[in-house]
Amino acid sequence: MNKRKISYIAMLAAGMLVAGSCSKSWLDVEPKGSIPEEDYYKNADEAMNGLVAVYDVVGWQGNGFVTKVGALNAASDDHYAGGGGPNDVSALQVWSNYTLTPATGPQEELWRKGFSGVARANTLLAKLPDVPMDENLKKRFAAEARFLRAYFYFDLVRLFKSVPLMTDPISTLNEMYDVPQATPQEVYAQIEQDLKDAIAEPNLPDQVPAATEGGRITKGAAHALLGRVYLFQEKWADAVAELEEVNGAMPGQTSAKYGYKLLDNFGDLWNPAHKFNSESIFEIDFNANSAGNWDCVSCTEGNVLGVMVGPRGYRALTDDAPDYVSGWSFLVITPDLFNAIHYDPRYRYTVANLDSLEDNGIVEYEKGFMNTGYFLEKFAGRTSTRSTGGGNWELNFGLDMYEIRLADTYLMEAEARVRSGESGLAGTRSYDLLNAVRARVGLAPVSATIDNIMQERRLELAGEGFRWFDLVRTGRASAVLGSRGFVAGKHEYLPIPLLELDNTQIEQTTEWGGTK
Amino acid sequence: MFRVMKLTTFLLLAACLQISAKAVSQQITLSAKNAPLKKVLKEVSRQTGVSIVYDETMIARTNPVTLSVKNASVKEVLDQCLKGQPVSYSMDGLRIVIRDLPEAPRQPADTTIRVSGRITDDKGEPVPGATIRVKGTNTGTAAGADGNYSITVPQGSQLVISFLGYTPQTLPVTGSTLNVQLAVSQTSLTETVVVGYGVQKKSVVTGSISSVRAADLENQPVTRTEQALQGRTSGVTIAANSGQPGSAATVRVRGLTTFGNNNPLWVVDGVVVDNGGIGYLNQYDIESIEVLKDAASQAIYGARAAAGVILITTKKGKAGTLKVNYNGYYGISEPAKKLDLLNATEYATLRNEAAINAGKDAPFANPAALGAGTDWQSVIFNNSAQRQNHEISVSGGNDRSTFYGSFGYLNQEGIVATDISKYQRVNVRLNSTHKLSKYVTFGENVGYAYDKAIGLGNTNSEFGGPLSSAINLDPITPLVVTDPAVASQQPYLNKGVVRDAQGRPYGISGSVGQEITNPLAYIQTRLGNYSWSHNVVGNMFLEIQPIEGLRVRSSIGTKISFWGNETFTPIFWLNSSTTSPRTSFQRTNNQRFDWNLENTISYTKAFGLHDVTLLVGQGAYLDNRTKATDVTYFDLPASSFKEASMNFNVATANRVATGSEGIDHKVASLFARVNYAYNEKYLFTGIIRRDGSSRFGANNKYGVFPSFSLGWVTSRENFWPANNVVDFLKIRGGYGVVGNDNIADLGYASIVGGGRNYTIGSEGSYLVGYSPNAPANPDLRWEETKQTNIGFEATLFRDIHLSFDWYKKVTTGILQELRIPFYVGAFSNPVANVADMENTGIELELGYRKVLGDVTLSLNGNVSYIKNKVTDLGPGISYLSGGETFIASSYPLTRTAVDQPFSSFYGFQTLGIFQTQEEVDNYVSRDGKKIQPNAVPGDFRWADLNGDGEINDQDRTFIGNPLPTWTYGLTVNAAYKGFDLIVFGQGAGGNKIFQGLRRLDIGNANWQTKALGRWTGPGTSNDFPRLVEGDPNNNRNFTNPSDFYLESGSYFRIKNLQLGYTLPASLSKRAGIERVRVYIMSENLVTFTGYTGFDPEIGGNVMSIDRGIYPQARSYMMGLNITF
Repeated sequence: MNKRKISYIAMLAAGMLVAGSCSKSWLDVEPKGSIPEEDYYKNADEAMNGLVAVYDVVGWQGNGFVTKVGALNAASDDHYAGGGGPNDVSALQVWSNYTLTPATGPQEELWRKGFSGVARANTLLAKLPDVPMDENLKKRFAAEARFLRAYFYFDLVRLFKSVPLMTDPISTLNEMYDVPQATPQEVYAQIEQDLKDAIAEPNLPDQVPAATEGGRITKGAAHALLGRVYLFQEKWADAVAELEEVNGAMPGQTSAKYGYKLLDNFGDLWNPAHKFNSESIFEIDFNANSAGNWDCVSCTEGNVLGVMVGPRGYRALTDDAPDYVSGWSFLVITPDLFNAIHYDPRYRYTVANLDSLEDNGIVEYEKGFMNTGYFLEKFAGRTSTRSTGGGNWELNFGLDMYEIRLADTYLMEAEARVRSGESGLAGTRSYDLLNAVRARVGLAPVSATIDNIMQERRLELAGEGFRWFDLVRTGRASAVLGSRGFVAGKHEYLPIPLLELDNTQIEQTTEWGGTK
Repeated sequence: MFRVMKLTTFLLLAACLQISAKAVSQQITLSAKNAPLKKVLKEVSRQTGVSIVYDETMIARTNPVTLSVKNASVKEVLDQCLKGQPVSYSMDGLRIVIRDLPEAPRQPADTTIRVSGRITDDKGEPVPGATIRVKGTNTGTAAGADGNYSITVPQGSQLVISFLGYTPQTLPVTGSTLNVQLAVSQTSLTETVVVGYGVQKKSVVTGSISSVRAADLENQPVTRTEQALQGRTSGVTIAANSGQPGSAATVRVRGLTTFGNNNPLWVVDGVVVDNGGIGYLNQYDIESIEVLKDAASQAIYGARAAAGVILITTKKGKAGTLKVNYNGYYGISEPAKKLDLLNATEYATLRNEAAINAGKDAPFANPAALGAGTDWQSVIFNNSAQRQNHEISVSGGNDRSTFYGSFGYLNQEGIVATDISKYQRVNVRLNSTHKLSKYVTFGENVGYAYDKAIGLGNTNSEFGGPLSSAINLDPITPLVVTDPAVASQQPYLNKGVVRDAQGRPYGISGSVGQEITNPLAYIQTRLGNYSWSHNVVGNMFLEIQPIEGLRVRSSIGTKISFWGNETFTPIFWLNSSTTSPRTSFQRTNNQRFDWNLENTISYTKAFGLHDVTLLVGQGAYLDNRTKATDVTYFDLPASSFKEASMNFNVATANRVATGSEGIDHKVASLFARVNYAYNEKYLFTGIIRRDGSSRFGANNKYGVFPSFSLGWVTSRENFWPANNVVDFLKIRGGYGVVGNDNIADLGYASIVGGGRNYTIGSEGSYLVGYSPNAPANPDLRWEETKQTNIGFEATLFRDIHLSFDWYKKVTTGILQELRIPFYVGAFSNPVANVADMENTGIELELGYRKVLGDVTLSLNGNVSYIKNKVTDLGPGISYLSGGETFIASSYPLTRTAVDQPFSSFYGFQTLGIFQTQEEVDNYVSRDGKKIQPNAVPGDFRWADLNGDGEINDQDRTFIGNPLPTWTYGLTVNAAYKGFDLIVFGQGAGGNKIFQGLRRLDIGNANWQTKALGRWTGPGTSNDFPRLVEGDPNNNRNFTNPSDFYLESGSYFRIKNLQLGYTLPASLSKRAGIERVRVYIMSENLVTFTGYTGFDPEIGGNVMSIDRGIYPQARSYMMGLNITF
């Protein structure tokens, strides 16, 4: 072969390759499947995707099985953390027995959840003005984002008291350490403002079609949340005004504007066939068909409480045994709640009495940690509700939960009225509200005293994550939870996660030995 | 008689270039008028590539020539221009030699003698180019391609036969035939080392490089290449991740360099191969493995070299006769050790005791009646797992082309649950080199492998799998239920209960649940499932040597892989929490394409005593171009893997598919190296490399990585006294900076990512949400590892080779996800350069080789010590949150903290056991407060390290280092006549192992027999607490991570013991076979360790956490090695 030719070919090949690799853009790579921030939020669809990301936080479930409802239940007098042992999901255990410290507990997950929601809402609100899309739709999105930001901040301020208040996104590494901590008053002011803005927005609908938009924020939800925000601040009159707007003119009757009405059958509330029913005001949506699997527990859209609260090592011994799935025995019901609800019509929808089933030779199950024999029926997964889609069935229960439902707003309004001086006797609206809730399950009317209202809240809303807040805001927590280790002046709030204090302006709250 | 030619400048040419028939028939066109013959010959040589050998003084006597030819052959031209000249020519072998006319003898016939013969190496291969010189003169010749030579010498002369890499021999001329066998030189002076883009004589290397040669690899029964390095070189720590055949090992070069991916850069024949992907190589194909340990040698690989570079060179063919080689072994494997677990009677006794201690009724009325129960280990272990490996290679070539081809087959069964633990691999390799012309060489190296692995699923996991189950399952549960009355009750009525061939259900434990299941039933649910891969790794190169010493090389390499798995899950019910209510069939397919291109120019020149080599190069690398699809069908009408098929028309809702693509990882590089040596005495190497990586931020796209190293061969100094103690001494030292870009792609950018999903509406589908992942970090850059290395190499008493290194390696700006405040609300943490870590260590390698009569003995040993310390974790951060977790442990097992080794064990210290209530009451803090008020006799006494009078998370401390600080290896080779013996041992120490074999959350799990020594009353035990159901007083005896679980990880293992016999050559030659060696060997024959688990060798990202690791097998094999 001709040597010269070979050399030429070689040189040419080498030269071409050198040229190819030295061009400046060669090191820029395609970000496959993800998009640089500056190229996003270009149309209504992308804005909607940004809104979905904010909603995503409503159903937040961490990889460590710490959920808002699960943690709040564990901390209350109605449940123990349970599980397989004293360290099984220790974040729940330490809140349940009040041995939590700034380093260990559910605070990190719940703090992270709240601020993830705030950040996504802030990002969307910052991007929306420049998105070329229908202006009315844009206004609706903004109202929803404001509502959700208020909702996340409301949880944060109730759980942590002094939190950083941000209404703009943080996008560079440099600015993120300089965020100051706000007072609770400042945070509440922002929450109220966001909710009022949402309510004032004409493009936020009063009702949404359940099939296509169920779960999205309505004006009714905004009034309901604002009412609850006032209630927690003991602004009774404001609370009454907002909640009355939601509950409608006639307790027990359909509220004309928002279409709310108590379900006739209490048990239907925990039947996946009744999603977005007339009693639902703000619902936490789950999905049986997201194919969630063990690779990423936090990625599933299924409700992990379904398997968490199920009886451990459950074995049916007879054909007529209930079809519970074998779960992990978390959030077992305390004997105290059992005794309180045992003869209530709501008992069988609230408590799964494995103790009795086993005594009667119908089932066997493993006794988990702090076993009482009583499990949380409302959320317990069953073979019949087990997902038939892809993924691991444990992570794909589709049962929704209620952040706000009408029975709650009835009871809140009743409470606010009584606290602002209403007698609660027959003929008063607070009496009607309380007894509408009781009448739905066939209970006789009682007068609307604070004790009766709070007892009704406990039984009606058992296991739904409201009890702990109710005890704390009414100052009864140390009396009720003292035997569990609750210390007044300390355990009303979760500690700010220890790691948040490093290099930041954040200081620990006074409850946990800090200054804020 | 011929005149002896003086070989001056052309010896080299004659040695390496030969004429092929094709070249001789080459067409020559030239015209000359009164030109010197020399000039014409040179032109002929240039045009044809033919080498022409002549003696300068002889050519000086020739006359100028005049000729004009067109398309003439070499013969025609030579005939023409030598017409009438005082010289003639001949084709000597395949080259042209100009010689005196035969009728003009210069020497009287009676004083010279013609000697001819053949030069071969110790394997009988020819040594082309070996020089044969008359001692004391410049007279000499070179051996041809077939090793033959012929020379005319004065009678009574002595001949010196030498060749690079062989021990020279001086032999008297005694007759007309002298065949010489050269022995491969064992001195470090002549050994060569691959240094990256080149080869260097070991004696002038200034960096710290360890080598493993083919000879050390060929007799090792290794399945994966990493194992071949274990114990062979200093500075490399290797621990198997699993005894599962074919599984990868953890490889660390000089400790931990970074927090993330510490895998070294593997470069096979110039192609970068990812760590996991190295399994495609067949060890028999490897010519050498070089480990570049210090920054001065690594710097040539720049931004990817920090965790060490391992260069693998595969075998090439040699010119000469065709060589066929077969290597193979066959044998069986067995477990080397079983755990001591309780039998049924002992188990029931302890359960009763634990229940009574908790104030409950004893569950077993008569433990003795239960007998021994089920030995679950014997159910899963296989004492005769088969293993075999066969490899056949063919190599050879001529002066223009050489090749090496091989085919290998490996089949190994695992010793645990063999039905679901197997590995097979098929390899093919073809390496060849072609001399296209005198100046141009072309070659390629291509290896292909297919493997099929059947794996257990969980190994070294507390979550089930046969090993974890065999350890934790109670011995009372029967293997199979033989009583039909029991089999007809719950739980055996559940749909999916697994049955044996006779239809009897496998026993289901009523005491131990969760993921712990009957291992035989578990095996049935995984039968047939496997994973597979195809890998092609190869490169092609073109090398031009336009002038002597200058080499221009262009090389393109690629790795192409395809891999996936096929998994069928039947309906099963192993226990109430381990069930599969539906069938599913999953198929994953992955593909990956990497390529790289490198162009280098090197120039070597000697000026007097100065030797200089310059290298400049350019490289472009792309990897991680991956594509994956994963399809799962649910509810197939199939009950076994064999029946499963995606041809079944399952409903659309029951087909779940996902897919993904990787993001390209690109590196663009420029590099240069200079090597300078003065008289091989003063040595200098300088390297600089500039790398740009697609993973770095816009503000820091390119990094520059310089290094230098110096060497001083003290023993070559004039003042060095001639002595018999130190024959060679080289002192060397170097400093360099290398980098690491092993982070996620696009870490510097603010990316909007999906997957933030939420369900809206009741129609069953969910919406996909998008939000920014993390704040951008445009300053993101490589992490830097600066390393100083000082060492020496010496030869003592001629036979002892010693090399010593001390180093300090400092990594700064470690790339990791920056823990940003959660209130920022980022989806993920941005990648940033935040932490620092340092390693210091010493390494010693020692070799000894001696021939004592018929006995040849060699010893090689190495030992390394390393100290690792995290020095910074970012401002204000003293430790990283998280750590390795263990189910139901009250805290993580490990912590990474400043001033401690990376991922150290972190937990409580035990101070013995409370023997009496009085001891509990007397255990008080300074202010008299009871430290463990709830403890009872039999509980651990925990150290109150912070002295606050209570035991809480603040009382944890650093209780051990999981990474071995000492690693060592020793090889003994002995040969006596036809017999040879190899003993290879390897060990590690200085680390602790977390013995986490028992599930903490399953109170009824079986115990190891050390539980028989539990505390049962005052004085019974001071190290194993009482047993009690649950933990009623919350003393956390077992759930606290503590020194109770830590054991010394030190071990020494006879890795390979081998006895071989080589048939006498006279015998094998008669059968036409060059060499036959038969051998028997054992692998992992004995392990000396105090560790109580299966195996002290536990790899993993954080090593030495034993959750039930698949132990290394002990094998017995016999093998055969034949060379034709």
